Amino acid sequence: MKTKLVLAALLVSAASTASFADTSSMKIAFSNNYAGNSWRQAMLDSYGLVSEKAVADKVVAASDVFTTADKEVPTQAAQIQNLILQGYNAIVINAGSPDALNGAVKQACDAGIVVVSFDGLVTEPCAYRVVVDFAEMGRQEVEQMAKFQPKGGNLLEIRGLAGTSIDEAIHQGILEGVAAHPEFTIVNSVTGDWDQTTAQKAVATVLPSLPDIVGIVDQGGDGYGAAQAFAAAGKPRPTIIMGNRQDELKWWSEQKAMDGYTTWSASIAPGVSTLAFWVAQQVLDGRTDIPHDLLVPYLAFTQDDFEAELPKIAEGGVASHEYTLEESLAAIKANIK
Amino acid sequence: MPSFAKLFATPWIWSFLGALLVWLAAVIFTGGHGAGGMITAALSLAVFTVIVGLGQMFVVTLGPGNVDLSLPANIGLASAVAMKTMDGQDSLIALGLLAALACGVVIGLANYALIRVLRIPPIIATLSSSFIILSTDIHYGRGLQIKPPESFADFANVQILGFPILGLFGVALAVVAWAGLQRMVYGRSVLAIGQNMRAAKLAGIPVERVRMLTYTLSGALGGINGALLAGYFRGASVDIGNEYLLSSIAVVVIGGTSVAGGKANVPGIWGASLFLVLLLTMLNTFGVSAGLRLLLTGLIIVGVITAAGGHKTGR
Repeated sequence: MKTKLVLAALLVSAASTASFADTSSMKIAFSNNYAGNSWRQAMLDSYGLVSEKAVADKVVAASDVFTTADKEVPTQAAQIQNLILQGYNAIVINAGSPDALNGAVKQACDAGIVVVSFDGLVTEPCAYRVVVDFAEMGRQEVEQMAKFQPKGGNLLEIRGLAGTSIDEAIHQGILEGVAAHPEFTIVNSVTGDWDQTTAQKAVATVLPSLPDIVGIVDQGGDGYGAAQAFAAAGKPRPTIIMGNRQDELKWWSEQKAMDGYTTWSASIAPGVSTLAFWVAQQVLDGRTDIPHDLLVPYLAFTQDDFEAELPKIAEGGVASHEYTLEESLAAIKANIK
Repeated sequence: MPSFAKLFATPWIWSFLGALLVWLAAVIFTGGHGAGGMITAALSLAVFTVIVGLGQMFVVTLGPGNVDLSLPANIGLASAVAMKTMDGQDSLIALGLLAALACGVVIGLANYALIRVLRIPPIIATLSSSFIILSTDIHYGRGLQIKPPESFADFANVQILGFPILGLFGVALAVVAWAGLQRMVYGRSVLAIGQNMRAAKLAGIPVERVRMLTYTLSGALGGINGALLAGYFRGASVDIGNEYLLSSIAVVVIGGTSVAGGKANVPGIWGASLFLVLLLTMLNTFGVSAGLRLLLTGLIIVGVITAAGGHKTGR
């Protein structure tokens, strides 16, 4: 136990090389259930960057990515069972369902495999969950809105994919934010599915019937669509909270150049996949003090720093942040109470 | 009142009535506020369903089992092909539209080849081809939002006295489709094949050539729709066509086209598309939750189909 603590302390203090970790013979698989949008592509890119370097540095023996075709839960369950048979030591999962994969995840745990889920979480207790504090993100949206619209007024809410834990958490956060700021009223809420087209359509249908809107609180990926819907209907542009997408930040930058438009942007960084990778590596390394539920902060940009980030994001992509081992250790440490 | 009776016997009238009713319900709810804006928004959004709905209508009319399930994937890929070809430059807009059209035509031909050469039922053939198309699209577009040239996006959003320009295009397309269906040998052949394929063959209709043309037409309309969607919504993406799997089939059925084939209805496609968008408008205006909205949408579609279909059996 003592040696482990010493090792952990060493890891924290070690600058960048972690090659002395005894995970160099271990293999980590990544089971992903969808790749068809900019967020998922950025997630895969980030993961590839960090995990390939880890393999090159001999931190782990192999790191392979497996993506199923089309959000199919049974396919992903079968895939996890294959990964168990193939002898991986850890499986990082972005799951298609919070509970439908629990059977396969339990089988993996029973076979001694470390399972770490993120973004699409699994509820099976033996797995680790890297959770972004979405409720806080929702609260903060209203806090920021109160700065930009001090007089208050009507808000339109755009919600994410119905039935997901993420949608519910952000929504609850927004409700708490509005409760703390009674100068705001949510006059309607539509479903945008974190998708520009869906959001634009939903906002376009509801816009004619709405009173004047001062702000839009949303969940990311929907801000640009909302802006287009307001422009198409010839309505005045409200303060739209953005979600770190390149087109959203670019639009923001254009508006800022035009008349000093101010807003705020926040979302889950796709690079949280790399934190999940390091958590898996740390557990394989023998750490037993890591909580199964790890709360990590969201990625936010303000009026002052978003334009510095903009050139770094691929055209049509989303802002990301790759975790280094040190940052991961710090994130884990922040969760140990 | 024989004329009234005749009017109500036409299958497409129900879809327009439904559209009118949900619009009135929404307008009453807001106290008359935004009535015109709702119609403009509905016309803008309905036209995309009309375009693929017309393609799906011709396919369904070919007879039992004929359906094109590859439309969503087709739209997604064509949107990416169009935007990448245009490359943000005004001079390449026409080329981009042609590329999207060609992409759709190739997909339509490939679907038909699967059905004809490999003898796979259309449902399986078009569904499996959509997996291939989807994977191609993910590889080709890398899941990124690809932006249209500014002038193409502006054009797609132009309104003339509150009437969107794409709506005019949709009406023109429907007129052409109606003429093609009722006045041309091709359309009459589609209807004849849908009524009885064997009889059509014996009557000397080139059945397989007509089927090939029909799947190609559906593919081509899907391709054009992809390019226009990417223009209107300012960005191509893999998911952009997702909703058109259900809605392209729903507008065919609600619009009074027979699922058993042999009987098509062009005006009904417009009525049903407006109905679907205005239904979404009404439910969003009421502010119902996502779960309840899906439930009500399902129930109301079933209700309208029953109302329209109940009349048919009374003939």
